[in-house]
Amino acid sequence: MTDLPSHLSEEVHLAFPPRDALAIEARKLDFFYGKTQALYGVDLPVERNKITALIGPSGCGKSTLLRALNRIYDLYPKQHAVGRILLDGHDVLADRRSLQRLRDRDGGGDDTAMIRSPVDVAGLRARVGMVFQKPTPFPMSIYDNVAFGVRLYQRKSRAEMDQIVEKSLRRAALWDEVKDKLHSSGLGLSGGQQQRLCVARGIAVEPDVLLLDEPASALDPVSTAKLEETLIELRQDFTIVIVTHNLQQAARISNYTGFMYLGRMMEFQPTEELFANPRGQRTRDYVTGRFG
Amino acid sequence: MDRALVRRLSNIAFVILTAIATLIALTALVLTLWSLLSRGIGGLDTKIFTMTQPAPGSEGGLSNAIMGSLIMCGIGLAIAVVVGVLAGTWLSEYGGNTRYGQVVRFLNDVLLSAPSILIGLFVYEILVRPFHGFSAWAGGVALAILAMPIVTRTTEDILSLQPSALREAGMALGASRAFVIRKIVWKSARAGLVTGALLGFARISGETAPLLFTALGNQFFSTELTQPMASLPTTIFQFALSAYEDWQRLAWVGALLIAAAVLSINIIGRIVAREARRS
Ligand SMILES: Nc1ncnc2c1ncn2[C@@H]1O[C@H](COP(=O)(O)OP(=O)(O)OP(=O)(O)O)[C@@H](O)[C@H]1O
Ligand SMILES: [Mg+2]
Repeated sequence: MTDLPSHLSEEVHLAFPPRDALAIEARKLDFFYGKTQALYGVDLPVERNKITALIGPSGCGKSTLLRALNRIYDLYPKQHAVGRILLDGHDVLADRRSLQRLRDRDGGGDDTAMIRSPVDVAGLRARVGMVFQKPTPFPMSIYDNVAFGVRLYQRKSRAEMDQIVEKSLRRAALWDEVKDKLHSSGLGLSGGQQQRLCVARGIAVEPDVLLLDEPASALDPVSTAKLEETLIELRQDFTIVIVTHNLQQAARISNYTGFMYLGRMMEFQPTEELFANPRGQRTRDYVTGRFG
Repeated sequence: MDRALVRRLSNIAFVILTAIATLIALTALVLTLWSLLSRGIGGLDTKIFTMTQPAPGSEGGLSNAIMGSLIMCGIGLAIAVVVGVLAGTWLSEYGGNTRYGQVVRFLNDVLLSAPSILIGLFVYEILVRPFHGFSAWAGGVALAILAMPIVTRTTEDILSLQPSALREAGMALGASRAFVIRKIVWKSARAGLVTGALLGFARISGETAPLLFTALGNQFFSTELTQPMASLPTTIFQFALSAYEDWQRLAWVGALLIAAAVLSINIIGRIVAREARRS
């Protein structure tokens, strides 16, 4: 099932960063919504402290891939993934059912040897943060929004928590706008502010990886520019994967870009390379805007 | 006749019909309120709240009935809110799409429209007969069974309206599902949850039949939960049917009190909903 139709397989061009530089990595990942398959043997290497962009036409599986990385799809019983997702060498998909599915697909002989124990799912999610397309502030104060994830895992003194909240809001470039109303509701912010609040909330728990699914699609150009600056800043401390429909955005901020098509990873290159010199025909058509 | 004219005329006729229907409904409401006010307000004084029900011809109030209603509605609502919110949460967040969930939802809808006298008989059989006596507990339980399906229903509806992105965002931070429901989903839906509880209260506050079978009534002031207890509806029932004019007057006052309670509950509900939307 993971074999590509022959007319597509000629076009796959993957240039991977070195394995030991990866923060998270998907290997031969299939994904299913019930019986419908949405991902076919996708490989995604995500280098540490870099921004990796995912582009591709609507419905190609970008969001699906992102949602697989932190197993948020677990919420829905009919969805499942088959393959490997390695977070620092730990297999995120190493629970019994997932392994059984993997064995059913690949048979016994795979590279199990190098893969260590599974991570627990809640712990995984705390290490792989996520920001959604529409802002999702919680119905509580700005302060409590940011503190929410931290409180799940650590007991902090008031002063420590104040510091974490301030630092996160600063890093998300929101501090100056909200410092005087930390205790008013997060729902009262503008869309762009809400989105940066979600970024602050996501980074407050110091995740290794931050996943963003079209975070700027509901924002105006000014807010978008602010968010992009924020992401470039955040690259120093975090590893970022961003889905975007905006090719200029991918070109501006990302170090690597993956082009997806029909549930496959068609091309993965350093961003400049992919935009200046796309290898595959489909990639070329897409980045030059000639996509049918 | 040309078609444009026909359409215009039928349009006008329709508007007039709907206006008449609205007028009829409004008239009924205004007349009810008017007769309540005109007959009830005269008897409304502090004695209503301080004195218990009188023997015919002597002075008295409704304090025993008011207290009884508060206690039994309180018991009923407390049980109904706890069970209803949890059941509605389960239907919306966990099992709603399973076969079992569908059966539960169907039964809840049946219960929603069950005649209250049946509920009264049922509680009579399980709580009054076996324990050889009417009690406030039995009354509270009967009211709980009446309010429960309403709370369950509104809870499920209101939780289903909460965006799944909100749940996902909570889970994405590493929170468990139960934690996300308690701290985020319930909070985000709290105006709706309060509305459900208030609807439940409005439903049970005037119920007479189930209380006749369970709490019976009590001419004395009592807060004893294992004993029969008075309530506004049963007292109204008894007094309104009596031949004594002063009892009939008290019945009107009682009716006015219930109407005022339901009205203020509705207003409070609206304010809560508006406040919650703003914050
Ligand atoms: N909940 C779902 N149930 C069934 N199929 C789904 C579901 N979500 C997505 N799909 C299917 O999976 C495929 C990939 O969808 P996905 O949302 O990952 O695409 P995408 O690349 O993010 O698209 P877009 O750019 O429009 O956001 C699509 O064919 C879509 O129809
Ligand atoms: Mg998408």
